[in-house]
Amino acid sequence: MTGTIRKTALLVPVIAGILIGGPVWAQSEGPIRGEAVYQKRCLMCHGEEGDGLGPAAERLNPPPRDFTLGQFKIKTTAFKDPITNDADLIRMIGDGMPGTAMPGWSDILSEQEISDVIHYIKTFAELEEEKPSDQIDYGTQVKSSPESIATGKKIFHDGDRCSECHGAEGLGDAVKKLKNDNGERTWPRNLTKPWTYRASNDAKDIFARVTAGIPTTQMPSFTNPKSKKKLSIEDRWHVANYAASLADAGKKVRAENTVIKAVRVEGDVPTSPDDPAWQQSTSSTFFLVPQIIAKPRFFKSANDSVSVRALYNDKRLSVLIEWDDRTKSIPGDEVAIKIADKGMSPDAIAVQFPVEIPAGMEKPYFLMGSDAKPVNLWRWSSGTTEKPESVALIDAAGITNQQPRDAATSGLSAKGAYKDGTWRVAMTRLLTTSETAKDIQFAPGRFIPIAFFNWDGSNSEQGTKHTLTTWYWLLLQPEAGSKPLMAAIIVALLIGGALVWWGRSASAANKETDL
Amino acid sequence: MKIPKLLQAVLVLIGVYLGFILVFDVLLDAVIPSSVLAMYMFFVAAGVFMVFTFEEDGTRELVAPIKALVEEPSRRLIRNIVFVVVPVLAGAGTYFQMVPSLDAPVELRSIHPAPPTAIKVYGKRVNLLKLENPYRKFEKEDPEKFKELVAGGAKVYIQNCQYCHGDKLDGKGPYAAGLNPTPLNFQDVGTIAQLQESYLFWRIATGGPGLPKEAAPWISSMPVWQNFLSEEEIWQVILFLYDYTGRRPRSWEHDG
Ligand code: HEC
Ligand code: HEC
Repeated sequence: MTGTIRKTALLVPVIAGILIGGPVWAQSEGPIRGEAVYQKRCLMCHGEEGDGLGPAAERLNPPPRDFTLGQFKIKTTAFKDPITNDADLIRMIGDGMPGTAMPGWSDILSEQEISDVIHYIKTFAELEEEKPSDQIDYGTQVKSSPESIATGKKIFHDGDRCSECHGAEGLGDAVKKLKNDNGERTWPRNLTKPWTYRASNDAKDIFARVTAGIPTTQMPSFTNPKSKKKLSIEDRWHVANYAASLADAGKKVRAENTVIKAVRVEGDVPTSPDDPAWQQSTSSTFFLVPQIIAKPRFFKSANDSVSVRALYNDKRLSVLIEWDDRTKSIPGDEVAIKIADKGMSPDAIAVQFPVEIPAGMEKPYFLMGSDAKPVNLWRWSSGTTEKPESVALIDAAGITNQQPRDAATSGLSAKGAYKDGTWRVAMTRLLTTSETAKDIQFAPGRFIPIAFFNWDGSNSEQGTKHTLTTWYWLLLQPEAGSKPLMAAIIVALLIGGALVWWGRSASAANKETDL
Repeated sequence: MKIPKLLQAVLVLIGVYLGFILVFDVLLDAVIPSSVLAMYMFFVAAGVFMVFTFEEDGTRELVAPIKALVEEPSRRLIRNIVFVVVPVLAGAGTYFQMVPSLDAPVELRSIHPAPPTAIKVYGKRVNLLKLENPYRKFEKEDPEKFKELVAGGAKVYIQNCQYCHGDKLDGKGPYAAGLNPTPLNFQDVGTIAQLQESYLFWRIATGGPGLPKEAAPWISSMPVWQNFLSEEEIWQVILFLYDYTGRRPRSWEHDG
């Protein structure tokens, strides 16, 4: 839209430069040095021509930026000024863009190199002479407070201002299909996971995004004079405070947390995902990564983590798996079809256990086991409009060798529920079954390998196209009973007794010599 | 002033303990599992005891403060305190030993397991001792061609490897945090700079499932690249790894 205007505007300094003779040529050294950096470090993704069509483009979600557009996502210049500040570019290149393949470069590129490469990437859109003018007007920051957050929440939902794209609870569960300026599919941010923000969820950062929008995407500017949903400075601070308050640290992966601790309960274990009893155990979150080991491989995943809790009693184990999924994929459902990619399948989740709990360190191959070390898969599927949700019990000895078997004989059942961008699926099975050669037999106190597989049906995931976790552990927390306490008291009494006896006999001996 | 023998022994033990913590947790950033630390400390304690009791005088000097504590009538107050504190500590120690542990089992990883002499790849037997990168010679003979081969390797890398090993080759690709063991960091001096190109060829072509028996814990997620890449592509991506990081492969001549 502003392309032609910008190009003519560009001629002015160029002509001026030629007339004055100098500055233009002096400045062009930056791009030359920048070109060398670009060719070694950036070309592989952003492409020789800066069009974002490097060899990996097909396999990255989101795709590398097309620099020929001259537009950048993260900017702190006013909406009407299409040019991004160097400071914003320095920040994105130096720190990287979380949730994407774009890494931070400040650890291997010097400040000078980053500034040179910025000069160079601007040349793809002939922006090198453009000066950004207006900075965003931040006014006076409204500090976050319960009142400000409540006001912000109203603004967020008012006329579906933000919830239209970011969902009722901010999980990015879109109600419409979104595209970027190059026609590629994009997803609204899940605002509860600030570690996936391209910039950050600092209120000042969110204020800047709401003010300037996120260029090249459908995230709009709320200062656009033409917009009916325009917001005042104060209201933008309120909505920024609200968005920042949505962060849910419980969904963050903590690397040291590799054990799901199943808590023992009295009475029945829950079988429904909505049972309040689940609150008795804490949840552990693990990364999902795309399956790139078996053919056909899968690269552009949508879901990024699963959170798991577990409870057990003397008969059964119950596991609750929760994951944020922007789409409820029910083939045949009209709403689902509207936002899904072509060829939608049901959503699905599978839990994997070794058939035999390993005695040593060697576990089955994490991608569905092998002939020598088979695994059990409990695979729940959301079903279609014709066929209700279901759970399958699968004996797997490798990704291409999966044999379904009757789930009911092992007492396996599952129930799922979708709400506001989150799937919650409860699975339960008997601790021990009669199929001892085929089924894992659970026992408290043992570290049991556990892994997960996820299919987002609206993102064309089916068959080997899915995400997975590596092996983690499930521990049915044993009840310690009174044994440790008894042992502690006995040890303390024995040692205490021995000391007293020693002291006594020593002082008795002393008395004898005194006499 | 002379430090009593007993205090010396205690100080040595504390010093060694802090040393372990400093080296592993702080410098190497690899938290040392408590069971392993307990084992090390047991050996250290045994060693210290042996050194201090090597001569009879030494033994007497070492136990003198303890003897005095029990036998001196003037030390009554301290004695009573010690007689209460020691059993309580022993009881507490027993309790925490017996309460079941909720920490994940420790998995020690063997880096760079020894390669077999021959491997089967691409349907044929290959002798790893004789295997060389067929493109390495162009580095001197035909630099232009070499540059093209490296660029070909870069393309293979960015399409297949960067998700895990990172586009900076630092082992921090976007999927890295979801894997265990985590992907190798090629910038590090301890990886490709220690290895021959034939070793890399073996590890790339046969991946995690091709690891030998002793390479615990056997769960590397490295794919079997002979299923996806040609031999030529593997040799090119190896050129790229060394070119991008500025490291040199080890060769038989250098080793000899
Ligand atoms: C592994 C691929 C990869 C490499 C290598 C890479 N980038 Fe990126 N880059 C991306 C992706 C993907 C995006 C888009 C992220 C998004 O749209 O959210 C991006 C976005 C950008 C942006 C846009 C920032 C914004 O605010 O919109 C800039 C600028 C950028 N990269 C510069 C660089 C520079 C400079 C280098 C080399 C030093 C480089 N990139 C190397 C993948 C890469
Ligand atoms: C028309 C759809 C749409 C509307 C309406 C919308 N957003 Fe967004 N928003 C998006 C999209 C799409 C993205 C992701 C852009 C990308 O691909 O990087 C996004 C990203 C964001 C981000 C992430 C910034 C970052 O650093 O990554 C924040 C915060 C945000 N939006 C807040 C809001 C708020 C607050 C509102 C309402 C005032 C709002 N959005 C309204 C579509 C929308």
